[in-house]
Amino acid sequence: MKHGAPVSGLGLLRQRLFATPLDVAITLACAGILWFTAVPLLKWMLFNATITGASRSDCAPGGACWVLIRARFDQYMYGFYPAGERWRVNAAGLLLALGIAIASWKAMPLRGPMLAAAIFGFPVLGVWLLYGGLGLPVVETRVWGGLMLTVFMSVYGGLLAVPLGILLALGRQSELPIIRTLSVIFIEFWRGVPIIAVIFLASLLIPLIMPSGIGVDRLARAVIGLGFVIAAYMAEAVRGGLQAIPQGQREAAAALGLGYWPTMRLIVLPQALRISLPAITNEFISLVKNTTLVLVVSIFDLLGIAQAAITDPNWAGLNKESYIFAGAIYWIVCFALSRWSRALERRQDDRALKPSAG
Amino acid sequence: MQKIVIGCAALAAGLLASAGAFAQQLAPSPTLDAVKARGAIECGVHLGLPGFSFANDKGEWTGLDVDYCRALAAAVLGDASKVKFTPTSVQQRWPVLQSGQVDLLARNTTITFSRNATLGVNFQGINFYEGQTFIVRTKTNAKSAKDLDGATVCVAAGSTEEKNAADWFAERNLKVTIVNFQKNDDAIAAYDSGRCDAYTAGIGALAGQRIKLKVPDEHVILSDLISNDPQGPVTRWGDERWQLIVRWVLNGMIAAENLGVTSKNVDEMKANSKSAEVRRLLGTEGGFGAMLGLSNDWMYNVIKQVGNYSESYERTVGMGSPLKLKRGANELWTKGGLLFTPPFQ
Repeated sequence: MKHGAPVSGLGLLRQRLFATPLDVAITLACAGILWFTAVPLLKWMLFNATITGASRSDCAPGGACWVLIRARFDQYMYGFYPAGERWRVNAAGLLLALGIAIASWKAMPLRGPMLAAAIFGFPVLGVWLLYGGLGLPVVETRVWGGLMLTVFMSVYGGLLAVPLGILLALGRQSELPIIRTLSVIFIEFWRGVPIIAVIFLASLLIPLIMPSGIGVDRLARAVIGLGFVIAAYMAEAVRGGLQAIPQGQREAAAALGLGYWPTMRLIVLPQALRISLPAITNEFISLVKNTTLVLVVSIFDLLGIAQAAITDPNWAGLNKESYIFAGAIYWIVCFALSRWSRALERRQDDRALKPSAG
Repeated sequence: MQKIVIGCAALAAGLLASAGAFAQQLAPSPTLDAVKARGAIECGVHLGLPGFSFANDKGEWTGLDVDYCRALAAAVLGDASKVKFTPTSVQQRWPVLQSGQVDLLARNTTITFSRNATLGVNFQGINFYEGQTFIVRTKTNAKSAKDLDGATVCVAAGSTEEKNAADWFAERNLKVTIVNFQKNDDAIAAYDSGRCDAYTAGIGALAGQRIKLKVPDEHVILSDLISNDPQGPVTRWGDERWQLIVRWVLNGMIAAENLGVTSKNVDEMKANSKSAEVRRLLGTEGGFGAMLGLSNDWMYNVIKQVGNYSESYERTVGMGSPLKLKRGANELWTKGGLLFTPPFQ
């Protein structure tokens, strides 16, 4: 067989998997491992699983009991949000999807004003929909939960962290000593404290210090704490991008008579953010996963709801089902995020290449 | 001159007001005032413990401790649904109580001297006598922990349970082999697979774990306790009237069971009972509710809406629940248990 010549399916299989005795051994070992792990797993998850029924007693032994997920699906999605008000969560979800669409669709007419409306208007609208007031019945944050809460904390934590992170990164490179020092202190403080400690402090210490009667919402405290930590990480990610921009560009901008903010807005930040986009996405994905830490202060995010489900005696013992389902949702969310950021990068790469190609 | 007149008038008014308060025998209760203004009790519960505090499929909080919170709401506000639950983790429970985020804790917290003396909290009676015991297979015919001579017991290494069990058997010269595992889950799995004759933990926790075994009905929880971990509602120091209310609502539920008052017969008992204690409990005599600053039908509301202690116990952890935990130590003192209330006199 000549190297590089096209081979038929069977030939390809032989060439790839059974070319040498060592390859044969490795292939057989892998097949054996798959046989002993994947097959029982599939049997348990799919073939022997029970999907219909009303309680744990309807479930066949030896298979997964997905009845739990069916019975409590709404809780996994909405937590204890009142059933009659759940349309508001769906509406807020649509708002989020719309915001992402506006941010992604480059050729949209009136993109500038639309984007501004999405960035400044939608978050306010979202809080109003979810929390209520001004005509909508108030739904206290204590009944929020499940996927909706995880997404809420990620989105609002991110909305706090990204702009703050960019400002801190700029502040860290500022020529004004006081701004530089304050930025460094902020970044190093929040980077140095474990997130779980921040959540504890926000949830337990603040109410003890504050005069009674003045209370910031428990969830808001957790989101702000998370946002600050992630902002510090974001700042370092953005700093990496800023440092990659040659000093000459700033000097050229200064020579053209551009001030600090125009230089940053038109020349430095667009390039720096493009460079640091993968790192920013990483931080955002870690934010999504770090939201699970709020469980230590008894906020029922998706993981909390998964755990709450199996403390119901009617569903006791279905730990695997509950955790696998929650884990699968986390994976889908984080995987989608990483694909989206990959697509953004690719588009920016294309755009960056255009001038030299044309 | 005018100032003196005003001063005297103010003094007189103050004296009159304090004399009035004294006559009513009602100390101010900021917590009760806050509860009434809010229209709901803020109750700190466990964030998920089978039978004691958990959210059911409809998202409603359910369990023995949760029932107590509902009973308190029925007594104070006349409506058992007027209660807001704050789920709390082990680390959170004291700060949320101390900082005033909740009006009380009802969350499986063991009453100990050092907590009472140092944390600024008071324990208002006992709603569950928790204690370490053993789960064994029904076919071994062990009726008591003393029957475990020659048995093997699975425990998590280094746990309080391991030490308690070892000490308890050593004191009684019983030859028991203790098998250590890394974690509780491993120990219970080993017990389920037949590695050991018994597994040990708190009786409430065992009830939750028994139903996770392959065939729960083949296992029985022994009712003698080898440790003493009583649990009950907890309040902050200060506000004695609120503490009285919290304590006597629990006492009232126990008294109702002892007097045979249930949610089913409470209307009939209220109308017809000849027993003076029943009449005082249900508010037809004595004006007991008013002495706490509540309406006189406070305990009537509790029993009508939530039930007496037995009804709550059987529904949440007892025979009416999946846990099927016998009353054991949580039986009335008149029936061989430890559950006790001073009289309504």
